[in-house]
Amino acid sequence: MISSIVFINHKGEILIYRVYKDDITRSETTQFCAKIVATKENKECPIINIDGTSFIHITIKDIVVLATTKVNVNVAMTLQFLYQLVKVCRAYFGGEFDENCIKKHFVLIYEILDEVMDYGVPQIADADLLKKYIQEGGLKPELMNDVEKLKQLTSQATGATSWRPPNLVYRKNEVYLDVIESVNVLMSVKGTILKADVAGSIQVKCLLSGMPECKFGMNDKLLMQREPRKPGQTTTDKGITIDDLKFHQCVKLPKFDKERAITFIPPDGQFELMTYRITENINLPFKIMPVYNELGKNKLEIRVKIKSIFEKNLFATNLAIKIPVPKNTANVTTNSAIGKAKHEPDQQGVIWRIKKYPGDFEALLRCEIDLGQTTNQQPWIKPPISMEFQVPMFTASGLRVRFLRIYEKAGYKPTKWIRYITKAGEYLHRL
Amino acid sequence: MAYFGNNQQRGELQELYIDLNDLNFEKKKEAIKKVIAYMTVGKDVSQLFQSVIKCLEFQDIEMKKLIYLYIVNYSRQKPDDAIMVIQNFRKDVRKSENPLVRALAIRTFGCLRVPKLNEYLIEPLKDCIQDDDPYVRKTAVLCVPKVFEVSPELCPAILEQLQKLLEKESNALVLANLIQSMREIEVLYGKQLIILNPKIIQKLLLAVDECIEWGQIFILDYLATHDPVDSKQAETIIERSLPRLSHINPTVTFCAVKLILKYLDYLDNGDLVKNLCKKISPSIISLLSWNQPEIQYTILRNISLILQKFPILFENEVKVFFCSFNEPYYIKYEKLEIMVRICDSKNFLQVLNELKIYINEADPHFVRKTIKSIGKIAIMYDKALQEAVTILIEFAKNVQQANEPVQELFIQMQILYRKNRYLYKSNDSLKILFNILEYANEPEAKSACAWIVGEFAEFIPKSVEKMQEYIDHFLLEDRLVQLQLLTSGVKLYIKYPSLCSALIQQLINSAKDSFNPDVRDRTYIYWRLLSTDPELVKNLVCYQVKGSQQFQKDIRLWETKDLIIALENMGSISNLFHKLPNQLYKNIKVRNNHQKEAKIYKVDDKLESPSKEQQIKNDQQNQPPQQNQDLDLLNFEEPASNNNQSNNKNKIDVYDLI
Repeated sequence: MISSIVFINHKGEILIYRVYKDDITRSETTQFCAKIVATKENKECPIINIDGTSFIHITIKDIVVLATTKVNVNVAMTLQFLYQLVKVCRAYFGGEFDENCIKKHFVLIYEILDEVMDYGVPQIADADLLKKYIQEGGLKPELMNDVEKLKQLTSQATGATSWRPPNLVYRKNEVYLDVIESVNVLMSVKGTILKADVAGSIQVKCLLSGMPECKFGMNDKLLMQREPRKPGQTTTDKGITIDDLKFHQCVKLPKFDKERAITFIPPDGQFELMTYRITENINLPFKIMPVYNELGKNKLEIRVKIKSIFEKNLFATNLAIKIPVPKNTANVTTNSAIGKAKHEPDQQGVIWRIKKYPGDFEALLRCEIDLGQTTNQQPWIKPPISMEFQVPMFTASGLRVRFLRIYEKAGYKPTKWIRYITKAGEYLHRL
Repeated sequence: MAYFGNNQQRGELQELYIDLNDLNFEKKKEAIKKVIAYMTVGKDVSQLFQSVIKCLEFQDIEMKKLIYLYIVNYSRQKPDDAIMVIQNFRKDVRKSENPLVRALAIRTFGCLRVPKLNEYLIEPLKDCIQDDDPYVRKTAVLCVPKVFEVSPELCPAILEQLQKLLEKESNALVLANLIQSMREIEVLYGKQLIILNPKIIQKLLLAVDECIEWGQIFILDYLATHDPVDSKQAETIIERSLPRLSHINPTVTFCAVKLILKYLDYLDNGDLVKNLCKKISPSIISLLSWNQPEIQYTILRNISLILQKFPILFENEVKVFFCSFNEPYYIKYEKLEIMVRICDSKNFLQVLNELKIYINEADPHFVRKTIKSIGKIAIMYDKALQEAVTILIEFAKNVQQANEPVQELFIQMQILYRKNRYLYKSNDSLKILFNILEYANEPEAKSACAWIVGEFAEFIPKSVEKMQEYIDHFLLEDRLVQLQLLTSGVKLYIKYPSLCSALIQQLINSAKDSFNPDVRDRTYIYWRLLSTDPELVKNLVCYQVKGSQQFQKDIRLWETKDLIIALENMGSISNLFHKLPNQLYKNIKVRNNHQKEAKIYKVDDKLESPSKEQQIKNDQQNQPPQQNQDLDLLNFEEPASNNNQSNNKNKIDVYDLI
């Protein structure tokens, strides 16, 4: 499988070098560092073959995380493993992952690397689980000598519910649910929707005692069709069509496949229960209507009208609409009734920011752009207008959580909290 | 950070030596950390071997791990010293109550890779495979290939033990590691170790449900190499793997997709196949919009394979492959390529409309690929021709400098003109192209320009002057351009004999001095022909094809016979490079393929009565008689090769003439 895992900084210097199989020499790796990393070619393709050795890598800010191999490994798995490795490191370093903290914690990283991979085969790589037996500065001697505790630990690690330790106790049992949707949309110059989808994620924070069994339900059309209608109840909510769902490892997938029921024993604390993708009947929260005019050789006018399409009592927050302008823009005069618009040369665009934006509301921005003289006669390649926003208590897909039932031997009644938010993913309108 | 200083002085190893032998535990530990830091940056600290292993007497686990790391790194350089640690390992493996320590010892032990040490390892290893603790077992199981790689002669008994374990092991994680370990050994051993029976298959399927994500991948990946005995078995395995399509790890999903796609061929029930396709399609599409570009890239590289065998999966899904403005270019290139492949008689206009946008992007390489794709689509679909020319000519209007896209523009326009000569009239295309001819600088593009000038001489106002310009620098041109200039020059001469008599003289004079024998040969042929039978030349070079021509429409990536092997290796490095494993790795043998033929899953077979597959085959069969014409049109090699024999005879005469 994998022959070695290497962390490299942007200059091509090796920070961490862990060998699992010795069929690849260090000089081959340093060659990769010098040829690819130092010349920034690593940004061009995630896998590079040099003389029969494959270099599979991801780039996290300035750090290249590299796996080398001489055999026909599963590339997707290798990449996913590298991402997982970075995730584990971040979990240990309080979210950080840069050259400084790699150098500072190199002993710990070697310990992690020893555990998450053996003979080039990925092993247990769950940060919460690893933290139980790998700690900075070594494990406490009490644990090292407590054979019972250790047995419990290894049986959890290799067991079927490795993500949850037994015997958790909370005085107050609580569950927080966050439904976060990112809307991706691409509109053509004329305003027709070329593609639109919602990438959703349900984040859960679980503070529950014992081994709770949870059942989670949404207004999923396929699920609701299966449910028997209660007599006398006429619901207009037929549910929504979900294209695809992906679940955290705790969800019992066979049960979902058969009954479309989402059941799970949750990990402790924060985790992503599921992600989903929806392409049908999306309520786009904003419409963008740009008009582009060339007023003579050195003057442009761009007018952008935006309209919010959600209920009046809701508000969108932190709007930022980026209107691209040519490189040789000398001066921009903007005119809008709300928000602030400013030419930001480093972004090559006018950024129109609005703190709070009500539902069912229209606003207009007019930009007059004076162009400077340039020798470059190339016509301006217009990037699309992009938009950022957040709309709390709104889901673009119309998804609603219908229930979260929790069963536990102790029979406690947990408090449940739920929030919805829709954000802009890639919200683009071609100009 | 302090450990990585660059101020290594001569005495540094000496200092470390002193610290390692210090009585103070903390000092020792710091020294070990420094040793590891030096090792990381590539400095040789093997001389300290003895001092380092002395520190093993402490029970501090963090330090132990570091020392083990050190030993693994240098054991092969210092095999004699490494023997000294054997006792330590054996003690840890056999005596320690702590499963973590037992596992650590057996894991490290296997990595020493010194043949003569391995005999000390066999017995403890056997014990560990039978350990009560699954954590130790899963580690021990992976230790076997490590030992096998170095000393296979010691292993027969252990291999048997593994096979027994496969029968009785109940822990999912151990089972997954076991499968992976046995597969690794199979590669080294060259013999089959895992013998599947229905009971074991059942067990593996159960383990998939309980295992960590990587384990699920190993098992699914392994099952994908298995050929189910009958439709029933295929159905069971598919059914049990279906839930994995909803796993959050994209590789688990992808392995499940691979497994199911492979087993589809074995199913008897057509409706079931259709239903399964409906289930798989959204999963693949989710993977394609995965938020990690590297993963997205690997999936995209496998799409052309899936698309070729299962066109049904991407019906009406062309939009998924539309590029976003901010995506990395390596993703955009892949998407572009797939858009051409996915293009069909229904959606080609949609695709062209999208490509029209990309043609305005900043990256010249991407724009070039876009232009090429537009050309390809126009060749495949007659109805797309007009739209393609409109897009390309619109682009040509804004050309202001010689760059990569312009080169491709000429090449593609030449091909489109060949497909339909009368396109020169539409959109003033000829005039617009003629205005930018000077920007052609790559041989292929220049040759395309030369072809255009010769072919449409009568519609270009200054064609003779233009040709004169070209001929003035004849000997500086590439072979490809020279050959084309020769033919175009002759064409021009036939069209305007009186105007071009000086030109053709100059052309032949320069061409006969070309360094390239092909060019010289052809020059003499034309010379000879022109002086004997100008009418014949006219028929030869001003040849116009009647009716539609055959162009290479087959853009399939894989040979149909290779599809199954390629499918089994979906996601692997070889597939990423669009190759079969044995083409990339010498030590891999191709598995014997029991299947007759790979089935192709189309949207609706009835619609295309001679299926596309057959059509392509027909095309290929039709190719040979047509090919000569094609060659003639594409390379202008044909007159030469066709008349080769007679030419050889004539050659003597030609020499006589000189």
